[in-house]
Amino acid sequence: MSTSPPRIAGAIAASAAVHISRDAAPLAPSSTDAAPATRRISLALEDVSKVYPNGRRALADVDLVVPDGDFVFLVGPSGAGKSTLIKLLIRDELATSGTVFVAGRDVSRLSRRDVPRLRRRIGIVFQDYKLLPHKSVRENVAFALEVTGTPGRQILPAVERVLALVGLTAQADQLPSQLSGGEQQRTAIARALVHEPRVIIADEPTGNLDPLISWEIIQLLLRINELGTTVLMATHNAEVVTALRRRVVALEDGRVVRDEVGGYHREY
Amino acid sequence: MLRFLLFSFRRAWQGFWRNLVMSLAATVTMTLMLLMLAGLVIGLSGMDAGLRFVEQKVEVQAFIADGAPQAQVDALVAQVRALPEVSQVVYLDKQQALAQWQQQLREQGKPDYSSETGTNPIPASIQVKLKDPHVYGSVIQTLQSAHGVVTDVLQTQQVVDALLTVTGFLRTAGLVILGLVGITVLFIVINTIRLAVVARGEEIEIMRLVGASDAFIRWPFIFEGILVGLLGAAITLGILGLAAQPIGQAVATLVGQVPIQFDQDLAQQLVLVVGGAGIALGGVGAFISVRTYLIR
Repeated sequence: MSTSPPRIAGAIAASAAVHISRDAAPLAPSSTDAAPATRRISLALEDVSKVYPNGRRALADVDLVVPDGDFVFLVGPSGAGKSTLIKLLIRDELATSGTVFVAGRDVSRLSRRDVPRLRRRIGIVFQDYKLLPHKSVRENVAFALEVTGTPGRQILPAVERVLALVGLTAQADQLPSQLSGGEQQRTAIARALVHEPRVIIADEPTGNLDPLISWEIIQLLLRINELGTTVLMATHNAEVVTALRRRVVALEDGRVVRDEVGGYHREY
Repeated sequence: MLRFLLFSFRRAWQGFWRNLVMSLAATVTMTLMLLMLAGLVIGLSGMDAGLRFVEQKVEVQAFIADGAPQAQVDALVAQVRALPEVSQVVYLDKQQALAQWQQQLREQGKPDYSSETGTNPIPASIQVKLKDPHVYGSVIQTLQSAHGVVTDVLQTQQVVDALLTVTGFLRTAGLVILGLVGITVLFIVINTIRLAVVARGEEIEIMRLVGASDAFIRWPFIFEGILVGLLGAAITLGILGLAAQPIGQAVATLVGQVPIQFDQDLAQQLVLVVGGAGIALGGVGAFISVRTYLIR
């Protein structure tokens, strides 16, 4: 069920350009944009606002469509709403108004039971890695499969595969404290990948890393993207954003202020 | 499913040891509560056995005046036997009554001096069994109205009623105390599991993010609570097992003639009650804890 996009997502697919200007009505089915209609939508936000219980408006009227296979930078100053947007995508928070689609499903309509299934289709990477300190690299990655009830004989091959992909086979038995920051982040990426998600969402993945190591992480995410996984990366790293000339979505005060390829990332 | 159970058990086990002091505190409190529960069960079953024993005994006993004419006595027996409430009437003459008394003395291991007196001090009696021990009808009046024949009417029911009052009170008091201790245990379990949840906050967050289902997040903690309950129950039953022999002897010397037996039935009942209460309290406490602190 979840693999076939609902009608509205189909409409989005038909209308969505790879990048959408702020003022366009990207979800209007009548749109005549010459869009790659064959691409499915990984992530979509339709007129989404989020107001926290304390009254703070974190997002306002956000429209965003990310087709499968895209690599999108999400930029903006602290407090612009990047983290809130990511929380909405992983259904850690629900939108106050508007609709959030992930992998073709309206996340607000998911039952309690379906939320974990949705999260298995999204790999999440954080600035602070969120590794378990008493588990080895291999165990940290395997943990994601164990706690989702994956049969035991499938776990090890899957873990070894993603460890090879991120280049950590040699460090598999080490604890996070024995690793460099870059290696820890690669472990986290391996864990995010082990469910073979459709989308990787990375929240400031290079925030704690020096420039050289940051580049390694970016390269890794690009490779994962080339293998077909959609990547949404929130970042402050202007150098990287500018150099890569990928799609850049800029948030300011909870609104999308720019959405263009290779958009210059202002220094915030 | 099997993987899920194994996973949950393993994590419950780890959780128990990770938080050892609190786990042990919960286990000890649980044990104390279960010991009280077991004590109550044993005490109540003992009192019930005593009650049944007393009720089985003659319910109404009329003592016959020495020298009352046998014809009048026979008539009285026939009259009582005809009453609808009566199931059985036995007439014991003086010799039979003496013999029964002597036998009771022998059973209790007490010295018998009755042969010293030369005469038989024990009166003859009519012993009446009722169909329903609580319905006397006119049995008492009939017996008491036989002036000159009956000297005294002894109603065992009065003793039974008094016993019932005492046991009822003990039962209520015991249950109230037990309830209070139970609530205390529940709160301690809730707190223990809450600490376990807090200690695993990071893991729980990661589990959520990688898409672990609620069951995978929740059940290890419930199993941990059940583990506390099971351990408490096991310790309690162990203590009871060791103490069964001396307690049995103590009870036997205390209430010699009441045949309270610590038999297979009671042991089974205790295992069920203690084990069930431990598992239920541990599980329910953990469930409440997890509901309060985990769900959002």
